[in-house]
Amino acid sequence: MSGDALLRFADEVGAAGRPEAVPQAAELHLVTFALDREHYGIPVQRVREVIRVGEITRVPQAPEHVRGVTNLRGRILPVVELRSRLGLLPAVLTPRSRIVVTEAQGRVLGLLVDAVLQVTRIPADTVQPAPDDVMTPQADWLAGVARRPDRLLILLELDAVLQPQR
Amino acid sequence: MPGDNAFGELIDEYVVECLPLAERAADALVELERRRRAGTGGEELLGSIEGWLHTVKGNSAMMGLAAIQEAAHVLEDLCAALADQRGPTGEALLALMVEGGGLLVDQVRGAPTGAAPEGSAAWLSRARERAGADHAGNGRGADRRRGERRRGGAESDGANVVRVDFRRLDTLLEVLGEGLIEQAALVEAFRRVSRRTAAVPGMPDLDRAILALEKTMKRLEEIVMATRLLPISTVFGRFPRLLRGVAEGEGKRVRLLMAGGDTALDKAVLDRLGEPLLHLLTNAVVHGIESPAERRRAGKPEEGVLSLAAISRSGRVAIEVADDGRGLDEERIRARAAAMGIEPGAEGADPQGLIFQPGFSTAESVSGLAGRGVGLDVAAAAVRALGGTIAVRSQGGQGSAFLLDLPLTLAIVRSLIVEVDQERYAVPIAQVVATVRADPKALHQINHRGVAVWRGDLIQVTDGGELLGTGSDVEPPGERRGRRFYVVISSGGRRRGILVDRLIGHMDVVVKGLDPALGRPDVVSGTTILGDGRVACILDPVRILEQRVPA
Repeated sequence: MSGDALLRFADEVGAAGRPEAVPQAAELHLVTFALDREHYGIPVQRVREVIRVGEITRVPQAPEHVRGVTNLRGRILPVVELRSRLGLLPAVLTPRSRIVVTEAQGRVLGLLVDAVLQVTRIPADTVQPAPDDVMTPQADWLAGVARRPDRLLILLELDAVLQPQR
Repeated sequence: MPGDNAFGELIDEYVVECLPLAERAADALVELERRRRAGTGGEELLGSIEGWLHTVKGNSAMMGLAAIQEAAHVLEDLCAALADQRGPTGEALLALMVEGGGLLVDQVRGAPTGAAPEGSAAWLSRARERAGADHAGNGRGADRRRGERRRGGAESDGANVVRVDFRRLDTLLEVLGEGLIEQAALVEAFRRVSRRTAAVPGMPDLDRAILALEKTMKRLEEIVMATRLLPISTVFGRFPRLLRGVAEGEGKRVRLLMAGGDTALDKAVLDRLGEPLLHLLTNAVVHGIESPAERRRAGKPEEGVLSLAAISRSGRVAIEVADDGRGLDEERIRARAAAMGIEPGAEGADPQGLIFQPGFSTAESVSGLAGRGVGLDVAAAAVRALGGTIAVRSQGGQGSAFLLDLPLTLAIVRSLIVEVDQERYAVPIAQVVATVRADPKALHQINHRGVAVWRGDLIQVTDGGELLGTGSDVEPPGERRGRRFYVVISSGGRRRGILVDRLIGHMDVVVKGLDPALGRPDVVSGTTILGDGRVACILDPVRILEQRVPA
């Protein structure tokens, strides 16, 4: 299951390839960010921009993992509370908090993260599925884990993350 | 994207141009039939009908739509034949043409998908036979008349009229909305600066410039809104034909009277109004108006009268759909509601309002309800989704009248801005009846629900934080500090007070939709951007009033 997710993730990264840069035999181009004590990555092709956190307006009766809406240059941007979507405690805003503006199936959504770290390339062969023992049916957003020299990087399946929750 | 290729755009153009012509022709055929039956002429309609059909035929030929071209052609021929036909033969011929007119409309509408309406082939062969017979019979074909005919259709619209793709008007409105938001931001920033700095040279000029800008923007808004308005007759137009079919199927005789067709509404509202109106009208024919025999027994004329009227009043449009049928069967409705566990509204709203309750008609045995009320909740939901209200008046044996009240437009809504727990909300003014200072002594608790005496009536008062999910559970509602006002909202005869912290002011807000990611809140209808750049949710008083909010 997680293996499939990993393949899809690799396809996604590969399909959006940049013709100018000769793709090194499977390399992942990622935006990485921090949530709680872990680092996460999503494909850079899916990120439109990163913005500072402005006023976020609560929306009554919105799903639990939606923090609210914010004004993105005259557009109403829904902001997903990524922490609670991934089963963590809701975020406390700090000066480092950011909204990662992503695109999924033609919809533009913001992900609230603790801090944006960097845009980076990592070799695909450092990625492996998450251990079966940590997988649960709810963790469909987990695409895999990349081992970096200093730490682990959790790769997110963005479409699953942004899937409207019942 | 569909519509991007040349043919896609052409076929859209074709439908835009030909559908109104086909509809006009089909409607005029129905009108002609009615007038002939009543013995009041109507023959002058034939020329126009032929003109419209001719244009449809020509455009269809250009697009290579052979089936539509042929149908229009045969109808045109039948027009010529009809001119000399009276009596039963003429009646049968006209009935055939009315049928063909309806099919032609469906064919044109279905042109982008190439879908042929059911029965169109069978009709064509019958009509061809008939047209052929007439040709042979008196040799007087359509060709001679065609030369004399005034050119009908789009060309006659005059030199000062341009056609604009409605999507452009949507874009224009969107840009206007951005302008309005930026203007509000400018005004707000100016106020902040002028509060802090006393007398800076040039300040009065700036003030004047802003005032002038506000006036100009207001005018611009009015003009943009006016370009989006269409007469409601564009929706009414197809009803006579559609209802004729329904009445025939039911074995009933119905006359449809229409008034106020020139009442104007935003196209976006009109587009979504046709269906609920048709629903109400169909419902009146099927369930309201009695069979001719029954009407005779009741001492009424055999022909039932169905009236549809529209009138505009102060930024809203009122529409009435009335019939002289048997009226609502209140007892059955009540029994039905009880069986379904639907209770009347909190204030014991009129039992007739029950038929609009969500789910009233969606239960298993829809056909088991012989009285009125089938599917009305669906029509009511559509009207409410447009920010409108619906009510019914009925008198047993005398008929019923459905009263709709609709906003002119969906795009810009005059609202009261309120604050609850540091969040701001826009409440559409149309449903605000009063704002009242919340005197703790005047607020009571009955059965754990807040109640206030307002203008001599007891009304329920709900805590805003409770309603909007920002309240704490610690303090009982009605006793929260900071709730200094309540806003009385009203819709469909129901009223409720909502406690808020502050009243900020009035503002025309530009409505932005709700992203699907936000779920389907039923207290909020949309979002907007306020002068300070913050987003505010637009409350939906109509749906708030439908809810029974727990204590």
